[in-house]
Amino acid sequence: MGWFIKTFTSSIGKKWLMAITGLSFCGFLTSHLLGNLTLYSGKDAFNSYAEHLHSLGVLISVSEKGLLFFGIIHVLTGLVLFIQNIKSRPVRYSVKKSAGGRTIGSFTMPYTGLVLIAFIVLHLINFHFVDKTGTTIYQIVQEAFSKPVYIIGYIFAMIVVAVHVSHGFWSAFQTLGVNHPKYMPFIRKAGIAFSLIVGLGFGFIPVFISLTI
Amino acid sequence: MQLDAKIPAGPLAQKWDKHRFELKLVNPANKRKYDIIVVGTGLAGGSASASLAELGYNVKTFCIQDSPRRAHSIAAQGGINASKNYQNDGDSDWRLFYDTIKGGDFRAREANVYRLAQLSGNIIDQCVAQGVPFAREYGGQLANRSFGGAQVSRTFYARGQTGQQLLLGAYSALSRQIAAGKVQMYTRREMLDIVVIEGHAKGVVVRNLVSGEVEKYAADAVVLATGGYGNVFYLSTNAMGSNVTATYRAYKKGAFFANPCFTQIHPTCIPVHGTYQSKLTLMSESLRNDGRVWVPKKPGDKRKPSEIPEAERDYYLENKYPSFGNLVPRDVASRNAKEQCDKGKGVGETRLAVYLDFADAIKRDGKETIAKKYGNLFQMYEKITADNPYETPMMIYPAVHYTMGGLWVDYNLMSTIDGLFVLGEANFSDHGANRLGASALMQGLADGYFVIPYTIGGYLATTAKKQIKTDHLAFRESEKNINDFTNKLLSIKGKRTVDDFHRQLGNVLWEYCGMSRNDAGLEKARKLIQELRGEFWKNVLVPGSGREFNQSLEKAGRVADFLEFGELLVIDALSRKESCGGHFNEAHQTEENEAMRDDENFCHVSAWEYKGYGNDPVLNKEPLTFENVKLTQRSYK
Amino acid sequence: MTKTLNLTLRVWRQKGPDSAGKLETYDAKNISTDMSFLEMIDVINEQLTLEGKEPIAFDHDCREGICGMCGAVVNGRPHGPEKGTTLCQLHMRHFSDGDTIFIEPWRSRAFKIIKDLAVDRSALDIIIQAGGYVSVNTGGAPDANAIPISQETAEKAMDAAACIGCGACVAACPNASAMLFTSAKISQLALLPQGKPEAAKRAIEMVRTMDKLGFGNCTNERECEAECPKEISIVNIARMNREFFKASFFSDVK
Repeated sequence: MGWFIKTFTSSIGKKWLMAITGLSFCGFLTSHLLGNLTLYSGKDAFNSYAEHLHSLGVLISVSEKGLLFFGIIHVLTGLVLFIQNIKSRPVRYSVKKSAGGRTIGSFTMPYTGLVLIAFIVLHLINFHFVDKTGTTIYQIVQEAFSKPVYIIGYIFAMIVVAVHVSHGFWSAFQTLGVNHPKYMPFIRKAGIAFSLIVGLGFGFIPVFISLTI
Repeated sequence: MQLDAKIPAGPLAQKWDKHRFELKLVNPANKRKYDIIVVGTGLAGGSASASLAELGYNVKTFCIQDSPRRAHSIAAQGGINASKNYQNDGDSDWRLFYDTIKGGDFRAREANVYRLAQLSGNIIDQCVAQGVPFAREYGGQLANRSFGGAQVSRTFYARGQTGQQLLLGAYSALSRQIAAGKVQMYTRREMLDIVVIEGHAKGVVVRNLVSGEVEKYAADAVVLATGGYGNVFYLSTNAMGSNVTATYRAYKKGAFFANPCFTQIHPTCIPVHGTYQSKLTLMSESLRNDGRVWVPKKPGDKRKPSEIPEAERDYYLENKYPSFGNLVPRDVASRNAKEQCDKGKGVGETRLAVYLDFADAIKRDGKETIAKKYGNLFQMYEKITADNPYETPMMIYPAVHYTMGGLWVDYNLMSTIDGLFVLGEANFSDHGANRLGASALMQGLADGYFVIPYTIGGYLATTAKKQIKTDHLAFRESEKNINDFTNKLLSIKGKRTVDDFHRQLGNVLWEYCGMSRNDAGLEKARKLIQELRGEFWKNVLVPGSGREFNQSLEKAGRVADFLEFGELLVIDALSRKESCGGHFNEAHQTEENEAMRDDENFCHVSAWEYKGYGNDPVLNKEPLTFENVKLTQRSYK
Repeated sequence: MTKTLNLTLRVWRQKGPDSAGKLETYDAKNISTDMSFLEMIDVINEQLTLEGKEPIAFDHDCREGICGMCGAVVNGRPHGPEKGTTLCQLHMRHFSDGDTIFIEPWRSRAFKIIKDLAVDRSALDIIIQAGGYVSVNTGGAPDANAIPISQETAEKAMDAAACIGCGACVAACPNASAMLFTSAKISQLALLPQGKPEAAKRAIEMVRTMDKLGFGNCTNERECEAECPKEISIVNIARMNREFFKASFFSDVK
């Protein structure tokens, strides 16, 4: 299996890991958002969605473990890339300007990534590993979003997600070799659209909740 | 000394085949016992290094740049000729041979030129096999364009970067041999001496340009592919690093220097702007296909080109040469531009330029068509001059571009030093007194890929092998001389910089030994150069030390050689009392101011022999015999 | 119109690879707007020499934008602010009177500084030696027209082959990655039928060599294509990624 290790520890291999795991997170974000949209229809719809989800049983725990596994790969590979990339230029430029290639999304990637890890941990503590006896998920959400700090924090995190995805989405396609003058402009636009949908879709939840209390 | 060109007997078309059969071979198993040094990694040196290594020789290759891919062959724009006859327009080896001989004004060797034509097709095959992305037709076949001096379309090209692509092809072949361990690549090394032991070239002494150390390398044969000497004029289209040092020092060691006065001045270059100017940029000759050359009729006319009405413009090439018009050969076009400027009809701030106007072509074919043909050239022009050629005529002026002269070599490309081979622009052999467009790339690659692999074997197989080590007395002497030379340059600590001297030398040569020459001017130039050289060795200022990366020191050594070589160039020009190709002596012209050859007295190669510093060199003549073509007066009327 | 400028230069000076370097300040007076950037440095160097100081070391050769030897980071931009332009083709008319110009060498772990602005880019040669060629010996090549190559393919190969190996992509990349350079050669030869027999070995060997030399990883920042003086596209990087994928999973190369 030497070739396998060599392939995935090469610079391109590591990028593939980032791209594949990143794209699957985009898939996760899509389904998560679709589910959460039920919130906008009110308490019952959201609670029944949650019940449905949990009735999937094994399927859901397999998905969770899969996401965790991908998450670990994405974070660790990202860290390795981050450290290697810093080391590749031991003496920095005194003056460095962009020629227009970089975007907010691209140059903040490692930092938005770190913010997102922190967010995800908090998010899981608040909504996933929370004691759910005698309450509904909707109530938990409602309670959380009654605190202004949490609303602001959540919205900030969603902006960060959008920024991260704005680069991650098209970048994954580029890394996987999908770049053709005919399709790339569409992929880039789709990436921006996706990041906006994710950012707005999730970001409005606390606003909506706090308005409907 | 009697020069023997070793041209094989027999009919022209069979000479090379016959010769290849007669050349002795080195047994494949023995090739690995031979070391060969190649200096220079342009088309000739790069292709020679790769081909010799493929055969099994141990090759040591040297270049002054940081990578073998940077050699100035890379800057060739237009294309490479080959007699493939893919266009079915009547091309043949014979026609390419004839065009080249005629274009060279009948001052090249028939046998060499015919061989060049024969090999031209193989070059294209080889380059395509290497992955050179030549331009293609829609059907997938190779595209051709036409070029000056020929009536057939035989020029293969890769956009305006043909030289780059061919060089990268040779560089890739070289890289493969470096990876295979058959070529030892030494970059940032400047060859400063050839070591000759018992009449045979046995090695080189180089300066490591990074550390400043002098290094010695021994071999069984040495190949020089170090390019031309156009930078003796200071301003030229050559790269800044191009120089005469390698060939000049070989000359000092006994290699004859042939026809140094045959220098090519290219008519379409961007004019000089100011004294700070460091180099001139060529605009491809192909522009003359659609551009019309003109100057104002009235001398000293300072109006803008758009304000000069049609009736007050002088389309001097079209008027003077109705049948060839703007497409006359390079030397003719250049000389006429100078003539107009000398009459005070030049344009631009310096009055040393003529217009190349595309207005009519744009009116006729539309801006889009012109953009498609010349877009990248127009863009380059605008980048440098900030003028838009779609709206205002380009300004052009001739500039030194290529040097047909070089070290004398026989049919085997061996110089008058046994075991010292010279390829590409560094030798003199194939272009006579004037080179046709798209022929330089052809010659460099023919020499490197297809000539030297055979002929060097012939030399090695017939020479007793003698192992020489670099602690040999000859190496140590050479090393000492180089160190003394360096120390002397550094110790002068005068008041003028190296560039300052170089610029002055260039002015002298351009003024008196440029597009048009006369005996009085040449005599004057010779004296001026001697004086300048005297001053150089008293008043040059070279900062830094010899044991470090010192670009001023590199330049100083090169300019020191240019100051000697420039005189040789003038001496050669003085001795050739005729006009031919790039050498135009005003005393020898037709009534219509065209170059007038003297075939009776000057149908020879002038090969100069070094006789020590301060002594006049000795002229050796190799008579040129033409058995297959008839010598005619070139006419482009 | 020709004008003259007075400028302040802040130039990186460094004796050798292991010495510490720093920015030195020089006044550039009466610089003609028609000068190229390198001619401006020539003028400064003449002054420095006459003042008994060491001139600024910098690499350059053809001065017509094709040899790839020149290059410095000017005000934070490799080869300066003009698009699709090498440093030697950058003219002073793009600067204004009174400007301060920062001039620094290419910076990357894989490029050691030799002196001042001159860097050692031999790592790029080593990448080519790992497989940037077609293994064809001189002689015996079939007729050049034997294999038709569509014009579109030839043009695409030429787009990639236009790389001059200057290293600006590495200098521009926030990660000092050499992906654009490496992909240009892999792309050129992957597109052409002549390069296909060795495509798998080439992709794997060249990428592994590139990794070993200490270049950073690509994070698709696109600074390379924005700064490339020959405007080589990152489409080539995507193509290299595909080639590397094919080679890794569908060829016998290990």
